[in-house]
Amino acid sequence: MIRTRLLIAGTAAVAAAAVLALGGVFRNAPAASAGDALPTAVAAELEKGFAAGDTQAEIAGLQGELRLDPQNVKALDTLGLAYQQRARETADPTYYGKADGILHEALRLAPDDLIATAGLGQLALSRHQFRRALAYGLRARRISPTTAGVYGVIGDAEIELGRYPRAFAAFDRMNAIKPDVSSYARVSYARELIGHVDAAIHAMELASSAAVGEREAASWTHVQIGLLELNSGRPHVALTQMREALALFPGYYFALDGTAQAEAGLGHLRVARTFEQQAVAHVPLPQYVGFLGDLDHALGSQVEAKRQYELIPIIQRLLAANGVRNDLDIALFDVDHGIDLPHALVLARRGHAERPSVFGDDVLGWALARNGDCTAALHWSTRSLRLGTRDPLKLFHRGYIEACLGHPDAARIFYRRALALNPRFSLLWAPIARKGAR
Amino acid sequence: MKKLALGLLVATAAAVLGIVVATRDHGPAAASASSHREAPLIAQDPTADNTDLYAFVSPDKPSTATIISNWIPGEDPAAGPNYYTFSPTARYYIYADTNGDGQPDITWQFRFSDLPSPLFLGNTQQKYTVTKIVHGKSTVIGSGLLTPPDNIGPRSTPNYSALAAKGIHTLSDGSTIFAGQRDDPFFADVGAIFDLVAIRHGTGATGGGKDFLAGYAVHSIALQVPKSMLDNGTNHVVGFWTATDRQQVTVEHGKARTHWVQVSRLGNPLINEVLIPTSKKDYWNSQPPARDKQFEQYYSSPILAAVLQKLYPQFGPYKQTGRTDLVSVLLTGLASPKLNYTGATLADELRLNLSIPPTPAANENRLGVIGGDLAGYPNGRRLGDDVVDIDERVVAGELLGHKLPLGDGVDGNDVPFLTSFPYVAAPFSGFDNTKSPTTKTTG
Repeated sequence: MIRTRLLIAGTAAVAAAAVLALGGVFRNAPAASAGDALPTAVAAELEKGFAAGDTQAEIAGLQGELRLDPQNVKALDTLGLAYQQRARETADPTYYGKADGILHEALRLAPDDLIATAGLGQLALSRHQFRRALAYGLRARRISPTTAGVYGVIGDAEIELGRYPRAFAAFDRMNAIKPDVSSYARVSYARELIGHVDAAIHAMELASSAAVGEREAASWTHVQIGLLELNSGRPHVALTQMREALALFPGYYFALDGTAQAEAGLGHLRVARTFEQQAVAHVPLPQYVGFLGDLDHALGSQVEAKRQYELIPIIQRLLAANGVRNDLDIALFDVDHGIDLPHALVLARRGHAERPSVFGDDVLGWALARNGDCTAALHWSTRSLRLGTRDPLKLFHRGYIEACLGHPDAARIFYRRALALNPRFSLLWAPIARKGAR
Repeated sequence: MKKLALGLLVATAAAVLGIVVATRDHGPAAASASSHREAPLIAQDPTADNTDLYAFVSPDKPSTATIISNWIPGEDPAAGPNYYTFSPTARYYIYADTNGDGQPDITWQFRFSDLPSPLFLGNTQQKYTVTKIVHGKSTVIGSGLLTPPDNIGPRSTPNYSALAAKGIHTLSDGSTIFAGQRDDPFFADVGAIFDLVAIRHGTGATGGGKDFLAGYAVHSIALQVPKSMLDNGTNHVVGFWTATDRQQVTVEHGKARTHWVQVSRLGNPLINEVLIPTSKKDYWNSQPPARDKQFEQYYSSPILAAVLQKLYPQFGPYKQTGRTDLVSVLLTGLASPKLNYTGATLADELRLNLSIPPTPAANENRLGVIGGDLAGYPNGRRLGDDVVDIDERVVAGELLGHKLPLGDGVDGNDVPFLTSFPYVAAPFSGFDNTKSPTTKTTG
């Protein structure tokens, strides 16, 4: 909304001006670029902000503001957030380091600054540094126990640390303070984890309703509903949600990827590939590139698939170099694609130690299974399903492990459960599940 | 007028926890470098967001009072297919306190539902129900009422004024109601507010500003009620506020009955944006006015006064603490001069003295009471009252004898208000949209 846009843009000038710079007729100045005299640039940015945001210009304005007053905490806060926003827009992780430095500087000047504290928590979440995120979340809660967002940081971190009762309590508290898209979405995710898919969809519909007018948030909620539908055996409903997401925010990479997943769920692999390629063109996230490679592979283009797969370690190295802990993601990709399995297991163990969530349990179990240690794998796979999550991939992994242990009947049950949720849950593994389910 | 983010405080407001505030085009983020789910942390909720509240004795029907409450800041008429409607999952409220205790004596609740639409994302017309609650007793005073559709353009919504006129309904208690899209009546030079250069051009009392809200729309609920319904017969002062509730959910669902949580409220303009610190904004929004004593320090020691000191030191010093003048204007009403005092209870309400007759249009002063016009803000608030200028001057010390000609250079709305109910102007159409004051036309 307007306000929001003003905010970030506004803080720049404000910061120096310290708020309410009353008065004034500056209006005749022509629209300026960010490099011009600062206040004018910021004002121009503000004006533009009503129509279309431009994080880069906001960043330039804030940098200029900080050249005038390097101790301006509000400008530091806002710049730290703007860098994070930029990271999301571009998938360029070098913005994480910039955000980190700026927000720490803000905290150095103002140790109890809520925005910098919570902002560092959010940054740590983005980098998968969940223990650090939790520490910042708890600090932010000490600063302001009545601010809903701090419970979002805390709960998100607890989820990834595998401490579900604490995470759910944080989400409940967040929603009790402020039912809005952010807190509804988190309650929805928690319900999804405990396997209450219809209730998760209901909460996400409330999130969607509370996001009307905020188009990325609104579009995001439709993608999430679509993914829930997709893994509940309703790919057509999923596709409708993805189309709505794209209509709300054309070109949104998250909706492009969701559309590709829904199309693949319907067996339309070529259409899916077109959408995934667009998503990758916007932001080359490893999971998007990997899915594109899987689509190429399934379509018989092994050369193309190889080219995509070869990009992934490069992107992952770039992420890791910028502080992103991505061992589990790399392990999952490598295990799925049969790349250096012993090393993948090392990564899975290390990743699991940092992120002992049901996701970590699942990846570790899967890595053990593919390395032939199905007895140990069963423990972790069982653990990954302990919340009752209805996730076809986790169920498939369990089935695979049961088969490996010589339990064909148990394997069949889990394969069937996975396929019942989504007959095309994975380009790589659904065919194996189908074979084993017979 | 949350929308107007007068500055850093607001900046922090939205930024609240930081995270992804930025813009409508790339707002709350979804994906990041990974497998972990990044839900939006600080997304805004425009449909629950109170922007401005107005209350005045109706100029053309002085036996009635009109209350106008606006939601959904910054509606861009040309944002299709992202059209705007009241949220069917929220509950909207207008509250009236007739005896000065900070508690609602009359509550109007508004619930909206979408109409089935043959078009994808297409129908902006909604149905709604009005429930009046007096001393715990609820009465539905209107149901199946229709809003006009948004002003999309001459093909979808031809002859918009006539369409909108059909959105005026009479309620079973004799009141009149309108709900639907309107031009945003708030006006302010946001650019100048943020512009340091402004200082070079004096204090902004000479006009020449640009209304940054020109061309944008809001959703209004306008209610016209007989004064007799509100008048307590003694001091004739009624206090109003408005709020939005959303339904609370829990992870373990389906047990308890539904609770509703207040997520936004508004009495006097600019309070949560300018006076309430970042760490208290969610809490302030959740609280009833009857408990506003807990926030007194933020009214009596306004950060804004310190800002003025920094910006305009040559006109200072400004009293930065012990501002009993602000506490009385905003929390109890003014006793001296005798205007709208409601007693010792501190409550952020828009207080209207019903016994003060409306000022004829030609004599209205945009500065309201400090401009010598007792029928304007802070005695209620008319659409044309220039609350940005008034607030700046009052915080600078107007009521303490420290009179400065501060202002933002925008003295009125970009389009004229209507002379009769619902008074707020028709919204610009998406088709005509330019958001430029020189070229647009109203529907």
